[in-house]
Amino acid sequence: MSLIDEDEALIAAALNGSAYAWEKLVKRYESKIYNYGMRLTGNAADAMDLMQEVFLGVYRNLHRFRGDAKFSSWIFRIAHNKAIDMNRRKRLMTASTRVIDGEESDVLDSIASPPQYEPDTQIGEQQQNGQVLKMLSQLPMEQRLIVELKVYQSQTFEEIADMQDISVNTAKTRFYTALKKLKVVSEENHALS
Amino acid sequence: MPCPKTPHLLQEYFSDDLAPLAGEELEKHLAQCADCNVELEALLTSQISLQQWQDQQVPHWDRGLELFKREHRSPSHQIGFWNRWQWLPTAASFAMLTIMVFSVSIASSESGFSISFGGDDEITESVQELFDQLQQTQRREMAELVARVESRQDSNNLQLLQAVVDQTQQATAENMDRVYAFFEQQRLIDLQDMRVGYQQLVESDYETIRSLELLAQFVSYESDVR
Ligand SMILES: [Zn+2]
Repeated sequence: MSLIDEDEALIAAALNGSAYAWEKLVKRYESKIYNYGMRLTGNAADAMDLMQEVFLGVYRNLHRFRGDAKFSSWIFRIAHNKAIDMNRRKRLMTASTRVIDGEESDVLDSIASPPQYEPDTQIGEQQQNGQVLKMLSQLPMEQRLIVELKVYQSQTFEEIADMQDISVNTAKTRFYTALKKLKVVSEENHALS
Repeated sequence: MPCPKTPHLLQEYFSDDLAPLAGEELEKHLAQCADCNVELEALLTSQISLQQWQDQQVPHWDRGLELFKREHRSPSHQIGFWNRWQWLPTAASFAMLTIMVFSVSIASSESGFSISFGGDDEITESVQELFDQLQQTQRREMAELVARVESRQDSNNLQLLQAVVDQTQQATAENMDRVYAFFEQQRLIDLQDMRVGYQQLVESDYETIRSLELLAQFVSYESDVR
């Protein structure tokens, strides 16, 4: 039995009310989704929130999963949408608190760069992860998403373009731009260490 | 002055499916252009740095199980009133109530069954008429139900006969299993059929039950007056 078949069997059982199958399905994907959230949000609390939202979305829409796509693609599509929603909410929140603080700040500024992104360096018991988070924190959300899909999920530019609703060329350009930006950061890091 | 080809070429370098010809061209250019080489080196370094990520353990959480269990507790209720034969005690108590209120005597005869009141001769004719009507419809519906079950039983017996004949010719354990499975299946179908029959009967008899209740009220009113 392949993994895909097993996913489908678990989904069918979960839809039939098997809590055991549901738990098994969640266990199979929670680490992937949580780490995805860590890299995108930069901190454990947000990653946890995102993961819970994703699985709630999966739970609510499980009956709509038709099996014409892989379950793993389906769940990451949900994760992708939730991550963008979350980022939008945070941006709005930050924008409004800045106005309340009376700080001189262009709203566009906060859209251009991710203001809430504060890498949780305490997590860096694994120091490498801290380093990665620091690098990713330099990227705006759209570039971070491309890096996530390309580097960590090994998607093709075509798949990325499809998911992000952009052209293949735009996807390639964004990835290249992101790597170029990261170059500077990783050089800085090397210089510091 | 940096190489003007760098952005385009390196963008292509990272694409998924580089055409062999384009690949060759890229190699050739990289071999002779220091600018592009340095840039590519840096990009690859950052890519490798990114790949250093090590999956972190998910903190403990309930995996949505509480929600799942809460929302899936209902199916056991959906088995419902009829499947669990819960209607039996209800029906029994209803019958007892009817018998007690009316002191009814029930006698079965060839034409089905008849109900008569034991106690009071003074129940008015209109009530008697009403009850006759109820009796007639009930008798008809009961007869239909019985007929349906009987015809099922007949065909069952026919198939049973066939099965037994087959079985005596080839008395293997496998055959026994098949006969048993057949009966089990028929039993379930009959059960289902009876259930549906009763349900229809009760649904169509909702009015009847209401009339009986009215009748009960009437009788108790009569005895109160006296
Ligand atoms: Zn060059």
